[in-house]
Amino acid sequence: MDNKTITITKDDLATAIRALLPAYNVYAPAGEGERLAFAALDESRLGAINLTGSPVIPPKELLFPRSESLYTLDPETGAATVPEIAESTLIFGVRPCDLRGIENLDAAFLEKGYVDSNYAKRRENTTIIALACVTSPYETCFCESMGGDPLAAKGADVLLTETKAGDAFTAAFQTPKGLQVKLLWDSLAMDCGSAPAMTEGSKPAMTEGSKPAMTGQHNTLRVTKPDDLPQRLMAAFDDPHWAVLSEACLGCGTCSYVCPTCYCFDIDRESGAKEITEYRCWDCCMFSDYSRMAGGHNPRPTKKERLRNRYLHKLAYFDERYGMTLCVGCGRCIAKCPASLDITEVIEWGGGAL
Amino acid sequence: MNYTEKTKLIQTRAAALLEAGEVSYVLGWGATRFADKTRARFARSPEEAATLVYNEHCTQSLAKYLVDDRWPETRIAILARGCESRAINRMIRDNQIRRENLLILGLPCEGTDAERCRSCRAHDPVVYDELLWEPNSTGAAAAAELSRYYRADAVDALSAAEKKAYWDDVYARCIRCYACRNACPVCSCRECFVDMHRTGFQGKRHSATDNQTFGVTRAFHVGDRCIECGECERACPMGLPILAQTQKILKEIEALAGDYEQGLDAAQDNYLGAFDLDDKDDFM
Ligand code: SF4
Ligand code: SF4
Ligand code: SF4
Ligand code: SF4
Repeated sequence: MDNKTITITKDDLATAIRALLPAYNVYAPAGEGERLAFAALDESRLGAINLTGSPVIPPKELLFPRSESLYTLDPETGAATVPEIAESTLIFGVRPCDLRGIENLDAAFLEKGYVDSNYAKRRENTTIIALACVTSPYETCFCESMGGDPLAAKGADVLLTETKAGDAFTAAFQTPKGLQVKLLWDSLAMDCGSAPAMTEGSKPAMTEGSKPAMTGQHNTLRVTKPDDLPQRLMAAFDDPHWAVLSEACLGCGTCSYVCPTCYCFDIDRESGAKEITEYRCWDCCMFSDYSRMAGGHNPRPTKKERLRNRYLHKLAYFDERYGMTLCVGCGRCIAKCPASLDITEVIEWGGGAL
Repeated sequence: MNYTEKTKLIQTRAAALLEAGEVSYVLGWGATRFADKTRARFARSPEEAATLVYNEHCTQSLAKYLVDDRWPETRIAILARGCESRAINRMIRDNQIRRENLLILGLPCEGTDAERCRSCRAHDPVVYDELLWEPNSTGAAAAAELSRYYRADAVDALSAAEKKAYWDDVYARCIRCYACRNACPVCSCRECFVDMHRTGFQGKRHSATDNQTFGVTRAFHVGDRCIECGECERACPMGLPILAQTQKILKEIEALAGDYEQGLDAAQDNYLGAFDLDDKDDFM
């Protein structure tokens, strides 16, 4: 393990990321406040990297874009063009909960017999550098209650952890893709000659402060989630309490669009005189038209049925099919819901605590 | 009077109304597990009335929930500050709700945490059945810290090129969650144009152009009826300054027509929606 870790001081972070630019399309959280988002980096944007918070829109949008063209047709000739999917993308600074969200997407898009080719290609071409949450970015974070570990990201190619002293990150290289990143960083250390940007973890010079922080200030929000929550919630399908849970809901797309695990999409077409585009875009089960059938019948006519569906998909249906919960406890939907709905209340109610 | 005392008054009045069976529920705010968040609460029993809260975190305006229950069997009691009361007037004018279905418990307001409250010109309710405490001594139009059109004024100060960059940036960041639409008390079409995909009014694709089509159409559809509650902007998860849109429309109407403020009474016409049956429509 030791020869698989190096330390990067915060001062050298830009240098380390610069070294990745020739090899990858690099995305990292950049911008301040409400503008904090995963952004494509180039030399001019290196200074905007901001690892202090967690963007409202999770990194899932880089694997499963808000909108993507599936193909375009030339209306004259009927010739179809299928857009290329970028080679070698690297996402820097993925939080552990968001990585688990990507693992949820992997199950939905790659398992059970149907492989979504666009998702599969992007996933294959993407290297993920995760960032451990030494402090929880939102007061609404509850990943630990959902079985997550804010300091671990097993599936990530590289895991960065802030050191105890807080002036550097240790990088652990966890996969072959991660070792490719290490090669780039190793050569950088050599280039730097007498003033190495990187210290090899195997060198004995590791002081107490340069060790990765193994404890941190973790989630203040703690939720009790029973193991049989899916069964309990399914048994409560007709419970009148769903109407109470949903009465404040405004039926918008916020909770789905900020969620790292929501993966519903729609396919539609834009017909122009010069080009016809078949595209797919995010969709949301809270919208009234989502479940509307041809002819106008809607099996989920009110927000009660829609909200129940959203919560049951998160906390029961996905578990049944894939053996994992479709909520990773990132807390975004709680932080951003305009009506202050709170999924943890559903978890506790389902568990019999309310 | 502090918030604890006000909360007590609300709870007591709500419990009495529910006890007497005078209303089917009292629409107010309740606590969440987060100290800085409250949530709309529909109190249906005296016990539930005891869970109503009132404080500076009651940033959400409650009026929109009235369209979820257009035909109540028994009256609904709603806690109404300036913004809720103006929304109620406008919703009555738009035939969305009926005055006789409501028991309006007026709450003279001192503003909440929401930025928009600092520009509010109607802290005291403009329509109510009873006030739960004394009106503000400064009157309805308490001296506001921000100007009425504070967002629109800021955009108006930009050059044409800067304005374009400003709105391009806003529409690029919009995620089309429609929280702004759904929170707005005067947005009340049974089926919104954005949900009519087959008509081609609004592409479902997320692109700056489609986002702009939505944003501008929404603003025009509510602009001359906007009661300036700021719910649209408060609801936006991306923190977009969209209040600038309807403020701009109101500002222009005021420049054309003089004093113009919506929701002050339930008989007011809206500027862009006014028509005359004798109009010749020569252009059509
Ligand atoms: S729960 Fe909140 S974010 Fe989700 S649809 Fe309802 S109002 Fe919107
Ligand atoms: S449901 Fe909410 S808390 Fe759970 S993963 Fe989605 S956004 Fe995060
Ligand atoms: S609430 Fe904000 S992000 Fe959502 S559709 Fe409206 S402007 Fe766009
Ligand atoms: S447009 Fe915005 S400010 Fe105007 S009434 Fe609607 S939510 Fe309120």
